[in-house]
Amino acid sequence: MRKFYSTALVGAMASAVLLTAGCGQGLLAGDTGSDEKKNEPIMLGMLIPQSGSEAAIGPYMSNAAQLAVDEINAKGGVLGRTLELKTADDACDPQSAAAGANKLVTAGIHLSIGGYCSGATLPTLPIFAKADIPMIIPAANSQDLVDQKLKNVFLINGTGAQQAGAAAAWMAKDGATKVALMHDNTSYSKDIALRTQALVDEPGGPETAILEAVTPKESDYSANITKVLAKKPDYVYWTGYFQEGGLIARQLRQAGYTGKIMVGDGSVSPKLIEIAGPEAAAGLYATMTQTPDTLKGAENWIADYKKKFGTDPGPYSNQAYDAVRLAAEAVTKAGGTDGEKLISALEAIDGFPMFSGPLKFTPEHTLSTGGFQILVVKDGAFALQDALQ
Amino acid sequence: MSQLVWNGLFVGSFYALVALGYSMVYGIIKLLNFAHGDLYMLGAFVGFAVLGAAGGVSAAMALPVLLLVLVLTMGVTGLAGVVLERVAYRRLRGAPRLSLLITAVGASFALEYGMRAGAGADPRVYPVRLSGTTLEVLGARVTLQQLTLVAVAVILMIGLNLLVNRSREGRAMRAVALDPRAAALMGIDVDAIISRTFFLGSALAGAAGVMAGAHYGKIDFMMGFLIGLKAFTAAVIGGIGNIPGTMLGGLLLGLLESFGTFWLGGEWRDVFAFGVLILFLTVRPTGLLGERVTERV
Repeated sequence: MRKFYSTALVGAMASAVLLTAGCGQGLLAGDTGSDEKKNEPIMLGMLIPQSGSEAAIGPYMSNAAQLAVDEINAKGGVLGRTLELKTADDACDPQSAAAGANKLVTAGIHLSIGGYCSGATLPTLPIFAKADIPMIIPAANSQDLVDQKLKNVFLINGTGAQQAGAAAAWMAKDGATKVALMHDNTSYSKDIALRTQALVDEPGGPETAILEAVTPKESDYSANITKVLAKKPDYVYWTGYFQEGGLIARQLRQAGYTGKIMVGDGSVSPKLIEIAGPEAAAGLYATMTQTPDTLKGAENWIADYKKKFGTDPGPYSNQAYDAVRLAAEAVTKAGGTDGEKLISALEAIDGFPMFSGPLKFTPEHTLSTGGFQILVVKDGAFALQDALQ
Repeated sequence: MSQLVWNGLFVGSFYALVALGYSMVYGIIKLLNFAHGDLYMLGAFVGFAVLGAAGGVSAAMALPVLLLVLVLTMGVTGLAGVVLERVAYRRLRGAPRLSLLITAVGASFALEYGMRAGAGADPRVYPVRLSGTTLEVLGARVTLQQLTLVAVAVILMIGLNLLVNRSREGRAMRAVALDPRAAALMGIDVDAIISRTFFLGSALAGAAGVMAGAHYGKIDFMMGFLIGLKAFTAAVIGGIGNIPGTMLGGLLLGLLESFGTFWLGGEWRDVFAFGVLILFLTVRPTGLLGERVTERV
């Protein structure tokens, strides 16, 4: 399914080039003519954290984007023009992000392919919208971004709704009958839990036994666990973060719970396994977006990345890489860099091959399928259990 | 039902251990030492460092090694408490109570973020953890390790009670608590007694920190914040300044949380527990066993 990378990329590019060569160029020549300079590079802007608490993520994303840019340029670029990547630091902070977005707009970017921290990405939405610049957001995935209902915003990472969908689908597939949902009362965690509850409670399949909120930053969750276990669930889904997740998994096992445990993407961290201890963590499931080490058929891509940058790709490398490829595809389909046409081209995309599966946007500009997969703790590390494709 | 009682008593014994330090310090210099919860955190990290330095420990040796680490840590956090009093509180003893209170909050932040700077913001996991067989006692699941921890807590509390009520040292403490000036006139070294009180209270908090690390596994630089507040609540419920009352308050708070969670749901637990605190403050400000103090003018 995913072994397409180099071949599919060439194929997609080739057919796109043929298409534009056949009819696009001639048709569009008239309205893209005068103000667009044919030989200038197509500028892609990328806001990522390069300093601050999330600084470690920045290089994973910008390196992967640069890899995609170089690959596309090596094949002759897009519409005969080369791609150029311009990065700016958002420091995972709203003020820095707004300043960075203005800087990129002034620099004359045609598309934005950045956005990691949801809170920092949110204020950049109107800035890019005003400048008529389409945004392909590789990582940030808060429902707040979708709720702005801006037509230039496209999310290629899974959202809370999709995470809930993946969780419910997997629990039904795995034969769950009574599901306990536990969250930490933060908006992110509660949102996933409530959406999962709505899906689980649809007729047929499992049902929700209990929805339980815990206080984060505590050590002892035995009171919550006693309450949850009194409902005799066979599946417990924790949607919060890894510190509490590790403690809850351990204390569930200590309380004699023998059913299955699953955690959300905020809990996917090696620290969770360390806190829970290897025995309690063994066989624990997780809903998680694709990371390079759980991708199937990405060996060549990982090798290319490593050859170029000397390090392994990390979280959101694959999404950043896909964002550049998607941007190139949109420019090809639109026959130029006009904002309106790029948006229509992105909306019209159907079946574009990406790491997360064939791409088609929903009317809300989020992924219509894929995005989340199921991991399992095996030999003290998270490994792929089911890609849910 | 018996499970709820046991959960409450187990958590409550931690609260009681930490609350004792609060209560003793308040009893003797009328200071709410808000940095007390952070001494619990410090204890957990000291225990972590000692265990790390000791290298690998086999599972069979876990309990004796942890008890040794517990004693060592009590010494270290006890001394830290003495230093804290000497550096931050002694010079302010004659100052308005509000200045002392603010200093205590400052000391709390200094300890928290000092630890963050020193050990990093990432949570740490104890290399040695107690794991025991599970017993069924009256329908409640109880592990041997939990019983051990509760036994240690009870021994420490009995020891403290004997020390305060039966020894010369303790008599001096009680005298200073009643009236520092008169105690000084009777030839008691008030500064030394206050130092010793800080030592005892901080050592108990450090012991609780190591026990929490060994039982729950995860420690981080903010772990003392919430338990500090809970211990304060426990002390107020039981009667701040009164040692048996404080122990009772700790256990009661643990039970309140356990039953509050079960009856009202996890999101209401703290509302319930702190609601009880407010109720106590309005209806019985001296707590369960606290005596009415006449305002000294």
